[in-house]
Amino acid sequence: MSSPALVFVPLQFAEQSRAEIFQSIFEVFLALGTLVGVVVIGYTLYNAYKNRDDGAEVDAAEDAADGAASKKRPRVGDLPSGGGGGRKLFLSFAISAIIVVGLIIWTYSALLYVEGQPNTADAEQVNITGEDFTWQFEYENGVTTVNELRVPANERVVLQASSGDVWHTFGIPEKHVKTDAIPGQTSTTWFDTGETGEYRAECFELCGTGHSGMEATVIVMEPEAYEAWLTNQSSGGNESASENESATGDQSNGDNESNRLDAAASPTPAAAGEAVTGTTPMTAHAGGGIR
Amino acid sequence: MSMDHEHHLPPMSSVRRWLVTTNHKDVGILYIVTSLFFLVAGGILALLFRIQLWSPGASILSASAYNQAVTVHGLVMVFWFLSPFAFGFANYVVPLQIGAKDLAFPRLNALSYWLYLFSGLLVLASFFQGGAFQGGWTMYAPLNVEMAEATGGQLPMFTPSVGGTMTILALTLFVISVTVGTINFLVTIHRGRAEGMGLWQLPMFSWSILLTVWMMLFAFAALLAALVVLLSDRIVGTTYLAATGSGGSLLWAHIFWFFGHPEVYIVFFPALGVMFEAFQSFCGRRLVGRKWVILAMILVAVQSFLVWMHHMFLTTINLEIKTLMMASTIGISLPFDLMVFSMIYTMAKGKIRFTTPFLFSLGALVLFIVGGITGVFLGAIVLDYEFRGTYWVVAHFHYVMVAGVTALIGGLYYWFPKMTGKMYDERLGKLHFALYFVGFNLLYFPMFAAWKTPRRVFEYATGLTPWHQLATIGGFVLGGSFLVMFYNLYHSFLSGEPAGDNPWEYAATTEWAIPSPPPLENWAGRVSFADGGLSFVDDEDDRAHAADGGERTTDGGTAVGRPAVPTGATATPTPTETTHDREPDHASIWPLGVGVGLFFLFAGLSAFRQGELVQTAYLAPLAVGLGVTLYSSYQFGMESFHAPEPAIAERWPFDGVEKGKLGVWFFLASDVVVFGALIGAYMFIRINFGWADWHNVPPDALPGLVNTLVLLTSSFTVVLAMVYAERGSKRGLVGSLVATVLLGLTFLGIKAWEWSHEFAIGVYPWSGIEESVYYLTTGMHGFHVILGMIVALFMIYRASGGAYLGDDEPVEYFGLYWHFVDIVWVLLFPLFYLL
Repeated sequence: MSSPALVFVPLQFAEQSRAEIFQSIFEVFLALGTLVGVVVIGYTLYNAYKNRDDGAEVDAAEDAADGAASKKRPRVGDLPSGGGGGRKLFLSFAISAIIVVGLIIWTYSALLYVEGQPNTADAEQVNITGEDFTWQFEYENGVTTVNELRVPANERVVLQASSGDVWHTFGIPEKHVKTDAIPGQTSTTWFDTGETGEYRAECFELCGTGHSGMEATVIVMEPEAYEAWLTNQSSGGNESASENESATGDQSNGDNESNRLDAAASPTPAAAGEAVTGTTPMTAHAGGGIR
Repeated sequence: MSMDHEHHLPPMSSVRRWLVTTNHKDVGILYIVTSLFFLVAGGILALLFRIQLWSPGASILSASAYNQAVTVHGLVMVFWFLSPFAFGFANYVVPLQIGAKDLAFPRLNALSYWLYLFSGLLVLASFFQGGAFQGGWTMYAPLNVEMAEATGGQLPMFTPSVGGTMTILALTLFVISVTVGTINFLVTIHRGRAEGMGLWQLPMFSWSILLTVWMMLFAFAALLAALVVLLSDRIVGTTYLAATGSGGSLLWAHIFWFFGHPEVYIVFFPALGVMFEAFQSFCGRRLVGRKWVILAMILVAVQSFLVWMHHMFLTTINLEIKTLMMASTIGISLPFDLMVFSMIYTMAKGKIRFTTPFLFSLGALVLFIVGGITGVFLGAIVLDYEFRGTYWVVAHFHYVMVAGVTALIGGLYYWFPKMTGKMYDERLGKLHFALYFVGFNLLYFPMFAAWKTPRRVFEYATGLTPWHQLATIGGFVLGGSFLVMFYNLYHSFLSGEPAGDNPWEYAATTEWAIPSPPPLENWAGRVSFADGGLSFVDDEDDRAHAADGGERTTDGGTAVGRPAVPTGATATPTPTETTHDREPDHASIWPLGVGVGLFFLFAGLSAFRQGELVQTAYLAPLAVGLGVTLYSSYQFGMESFHAPEPAIAERWPFDGVEKGKLGVWFFLASDVVVFGALIGAYMFIRINFGWADWHNVPPDALPGLVNTLVLLTSSFTVVLAMVYAERGSKRGLVGSLVATVLLGLTFLGIKAWEWSHEFAIGVYPWSGIEESVYYLTTGMHGFHVILGMIVALFMIYRASGGAYLGDDEPVEYFGLYWHFVDIVWVLLFPLFYLL
């Protein structure tokens, strides 16, 4: 990360959560995009309507044999040539170029901020591994959970993502964080945990028959509760470890099972690390199954 | 005047006609009809998963079937529908627009079509072989391969072997079809333009096709390399794409997207060309800023190869390269802004008639504006972090790509009267447009609202259900609108009003100056723009038939006394060919023969997995396919097929380069990219592996060195062959060709000896990554040597019968190919033996 560039990050983005950054940029894009779209499409349709052929008089000037070639209406047998009128074109082009390039330059500073991993030196770090249509989380003290990510509220957390098999993408939409989980690679990202509650993490890259439903629950806890849970897990750790084995071991005949948590259900804090296994209702395979 | 000579071509009502035709208009119709079939197939797949998406959860499709449906939908729509549909029009219209009587290589044109059709049959067949490929049209690694011993883990998400491999093989055959077609169009447009039509004066549709084929030449070569690597991993068992290997996911992503990004412009450019034509014809105004539009399109074509990593913003590529790609991505949107505004301003002072073709083109413009704006969102990396893998991406690319479809549908209505001589029903056309436009937006706009849905899932947050339901309804409306079109076109074809030469006032390109449908030879004589306007010149008789707007030209219009003498310094007369030496041929069965052979050959290959044959039943088609391909190719080569070139044509910048030679140069340019990608893959892998830790497979450099000398000598003998041919010495010619073959066999023999030694000590392609890279790259080169041998043997056979004496061009072409093969080896030798 190039720290000199961070000098140019406007204060606007400093200290903001990813959610706020995304929201503000998205809203500006949306507003501007809608405006530009409405104006351009409106002008297009207006132009089409205004210049419609209403069977009116012949334009003598434009059909004149000795008029400028660009003004003459096309006729069969003409060698293709242009219709002139470049100035208005350039004006519109220049305006759109300025808008587009300006937007991107503005977001570039946000990009530098996000990529600079700001204030993450002391942050909690969780390693994520996507594998067998499950998300496995490993915390700093070695504790692991499956399909359930626990984090303390109102803190910045660093995620290191990779995969144990194929290309997955881990994302928590409500926390505005997402990163590819590629086998053999570790990608780093961060997010602000915000308020306590339960959120959903999903897989955003097609990874096989269990892709749809490859989800995890993200449980944001009060910091004290989180610390307690973490210590509890590492001391009574064998329980969650065996839960992990049974969860991954069941995936060998993979295509009929997916680990799916019902997002609407409230969690039972005591069942930490437990993976609720649901069976996705399957009708007869239409195209033959996989091996 | 015998313009409707059959030239051994059966009448249109006979089936045989369509099996043997090489005429560009027939081939164009074949492409259009076949691609519409694939539109329906891809559309049905989409409707199936839209039904599944009616509410969260699986309903009519299992997870595996769902993944197959989304995968094959993408593959079929992008490859087997969009480009072939566009090229149906390109085939029909481009020769007419540039003043050519056919493509440069008519039999190869037919071959392209048959390879396309058969590759499409293979992809549909793959459903019945244990399930088609189900890893998405992007075929990400390592989901796209099986890993037998590599990781040892149990991986339940693999694509079924035979059907999955078949899908990939089908795509590979399709790429061969495209490559053949690309070379054909490049030579045609660069060498076949009418006198007075410089590149700058090409009509907009022909310009769009020219740039499309330039992009295709290089992009599809990269895809071919990627598919060769993928097939090698699946069929032979190499480990290029193994998960934690040095290649893996990122290697695939780079090669695939290097192809994948130009590909989206490849599918869009022809649509853009149609839009430009429709805007001019129906606004009655020449294109505003035409010169800048052409420059903008050229810029896009080049720049399209420099943005591919915007598909990889969330991978582990570094920030600097991400930033560069962000800049180039935003940059590439700007030329499109210019093109959009050009069309808008062309409407000013127009006399716009809202015919069906224009409605579709105008509609396409509006949809493209929406799609383009939403693309800018994706270019801002911080937003892309959110949008990655969601329906925002799906909605964006459907808006832009299906905007392209919209324009091409407009093209279908636009050129339907020309192709059939009948007018379609205008009211039904407008009805189609209304249903289409409503259905389109009902289908794709809700996807922006439901953008948080991950791609390729059927589980989603229940709150998004209403949007998905709207989209499903929209899908059916959109699909249903096509029923109106099929009914309209079918009915009109049978009993529509006769359309004249030019039903569109202000349509100006040459196809509107000739009858509907055009006669087999398109026109008598030769098209010329030498005096600034269209005229049909009869070089022999010195009589000229001038074209007045819309008047028939075949039965003598106003005779304008014009000498048939090249007026511009750029017009290049071809001394050997005139149009009246011999009637041109329009029929050959051998393209179909080669197509059938390759169909069975590729089908047979699907039964191999990791170096083993898993379905012995497939050996028969494999053998039959090989035999039919070789036999048909032999007959193809032996056949005497006359495809004359115009005596006078614009050929800049390839003046003085003969047609066949230009074709070989384009082919070699494409092959350079294939090897470039393979060597690039080697570099990528070796750097990730650790350059110094790599060990070279051949234990000794000496055999490689000997082989290098052998090949260099064989290049010398090929040059000798050319010299002897020129001098008319049959013995010298045959002797040097035989020497070349013997040297080639020596090369292969030494290689076989090397490889057998490796196999004997258990060093196989699947033994490790170094072995994988060595065997595949040198194997690919060896395959080129084998192909060269086959051609050389054929040439020896012909030369012994007296061919090539005095006309050394075929020998020269073979020489070019052979020198290329040599040069590749000279690069591979140090890479795999010395470094």
